[in-house]
Amino acid sequence: MNLVVNGDAEAGPGGTAEPVHSVTGWRIAEGAPALIGYDVGQGYPSVSDPGPAPRGKRFFAGGNAPRTALVQDVDLPAVGPTGRGPVDAGRVRFTVSAWLGGYATQEDGARLSVEFRDATGTPVALAVLGPVTAGERLARTGLFERSATAALPPGARTARVLLVLTRAGSGQSNDGYADAISLTLSADKGKP
Amino acid sequence: MKLNRRDLLRAAATAGALGVAWPLAGGLSPAQAVEAAEELGASYDPAPFTLGVASGDPTPTGVVLWTRLAPEPLAAEQQLPEVVEVRWVVAEDRDLRRVVARGTAPASATLGHSVHVSVDGLQAGQRYWYAFSALGRRSRLGRTRTAPVGPVSKVRFASANCQAFHGGYYAAHRGIAREDLDFVVHLGDYIYEGGPVTGPRGNGTAEDFSLGDYRRRHALYKGDPSLREAHAAHPWFLTWDDHEVVNDYSSAGGGAPFLQRRAAAYQAWYENMPHRDGSDATLPDPQIHRVRRWGDLLELTVLDLRSYRSAQNLPDGTILGARQKEWLKQGIDRAPDAWHCWVNSIMLSQLRGRPGGGFMFTDQWDGFLSERKDVLTHAHRSGLEDLVVITGDWHSAFIDDIRPDFDDTSSPVIGTEFTSHSISSNAYSPAWNAANGPRMGAANPHLQYFEGNRYGYDLYEVTPERWSTHLRVIGDLRDPVSPVSTLTTFHVDRGTVGAYEDRATKNSPAQYRRD
Repeated sequence: MNLVVNGDAEAGPGGTAEPVHSVTGWRIAEGAPALIGYDVGQGYPSVSDPGPAPRGKRFFAGGNAPRTALVQDVDLPAVGPTGRGPVDAGRVRFTVSAWLGGYATQEDGARLSVEFRDATGTPVALAVLGPVTAGERLARTGLFERSATAALPPGARTARVLLVLTRAGSGQSNDGYADAISLTLSADKGKP
Repeated sequence: MKLNRRDLLRAAATAGALGVAWPLAGGLSPAQAVEAAEELGASYDPAPFTLGVASGDPTPTGVVLWTRLAPEPLAAEQQLPEVVEVRWVVAEDRDLRRVVARGTAPASATLGHSVHVSVDGLQAGQRYWYAFSALGRRSRLGRTRTAPVGPVSKVRFASANCQAFHGGYYAAHRGIAREDLDFVVHLGDYIYEGGPVTGPRGNGTAEDFSLGDYRRRHALYKGDPSLREAHAAHPWFLTWDDHEVVNDYSSAGGGAPFLQRRAAAYQAWYENMPHRDGSDATLPDPQIHRVRRWGDLLELTVLDLRSYRSAQNLPDGTILGARQKEWLKQGIDRAPDAWHCWVNSIMLSQLRGRPGGGFMFTDQWDGFLSERKDVLTHAHRSGLEDLVVITGDWHSAFIDDIRPDFDDTSSPVIGTEFTSHSISSNAYSPAWNAANGPRMGAANPHLQYFEGNRYGYDLYEVTPERWSTHLRVIGDLRDPVSPVSTLTTFHVDRGTVGAYEDRATKNSPAQYRRD
């Protein structure tokens, strides 16, 4: 189960290139996010550009601010096969994945990080994805998958998800793009 | 396996170095890199606690304890399980018998097998000892202290900055470790990210870009036993400057390749520092700026002059960023009756190179004129008194009067800035200092003192009546046990503005004195 709410940018206001004032499931920590439809055109990623499949109708973008940041705090499950008991026994793994990208040769970018914290708020694990450079995109407009998986340390209780969309240089449009953001836990059956 | 001397020299030649291989040069195995580091005077604690222990951010009820498991300190990743359980203990005695807190913490490969333990429930103003154990081994003993509350008759602390490994041995940190201190402040340039470097302790060309690169760099620096000793002896407060990432950087408008690099550098910094992150922060972007109090005597305002700055020399440029600037101004408005010390990585005071000339460096506050004037004018209008700013970066000692408008000598003096010698990063030549000290003095009426021929740290003794800054200097960068002496001492009396030099050291060598 994906623990990130609205990681696919499908819920709430949006659909155009205009920034929105609220994003379902997320707190706008900085900037002016836009949830852009793949059908908007104007050079934004379309259904035919690289991206997740299926990709729904919309993706996250940085809007018109040089730096846009969205935050989501996640309570990790208290019970179940990935609940506190298995976590504290060292038998749970996490996987963070996202599709991150930008526009053509520009170095606008998107970075997703997930900081896992213990009950006191101290970081105990970290996953950082992206930003995907223009070189890594081969100068193609679009989104590209990045993921990380690791053991969830005993004592982990919450996760803070941070999506940062950045504009390189001057200009108006912040063309850091993200979609299909996911955090999942799995019971670790043993050593891989 | 011992490193074959011929292989070592071959690697040195490959790296373009002279004499001894640079430990971070390509082509060396982690074990060979350690051998090369040892050739340059490095040594490491027994595995897995090779990098030692540290404590930081003391409050009246707690402190952050740090260690990092690194059996192969100069490897980018450790051959360890993904998560290793680390035990920790805090006690009132050095034998760890009167235990007041203990627990376990996970060391995750995703954070370089580092551990940050936020210990709470301690007594204010008390000394404690601590240690870690993992994988059947125990770390060295660390000593720390909590902040006091209420009336405080004295605080004694030191500041360190600019510690290029290649620049020389850390005799200054050895001195800091041996001082009777409440805490240490690091003002930044804890590491240098590389590129061609040359100095008394090695020549290298490797430059850091990836997380693994920066991890290895931090591990090389912690190979100096005096740095580990200073961390184990006292709790530290920390800020950073540019070389924790790359020279003179601003993140404004940075593209994806730079932001990848910055994230790697920031993460490695966190992994290797006794830093307590702000609750509103999220790694890999730690939150540095904070206010801490040492009883009723000292308010310490730690500034971050790197994370949120704009480009230099813009009419509306910012070195603090809008949020930190607002936070600082609100702090000024609420300031208690105490000494106010701003922990400031890079020079606040104006510095022209010669009369009628331009600013020497606009990477410092001179590149953010409007913001400096705004903040200092706000401090003046708010009636902030007893302001002392402690600064690093310059590799030389300066003492300046702080004025809201440095070009207007009728502008009131509202505080003093002490810019400290470096631990080991190279200063200008004695000839340059001799020629330019008087020029800078003539060009900057607020400049009171300049000395650039020495290395060391500043030691601050603060009472309700007087602030004293002792310029502690070493004799020789090439000597790891070079003795420390006091070059001179300046005082600021409470309730007055302006520093004055202690009579006993007024004839000490300097390249400029105003009086």
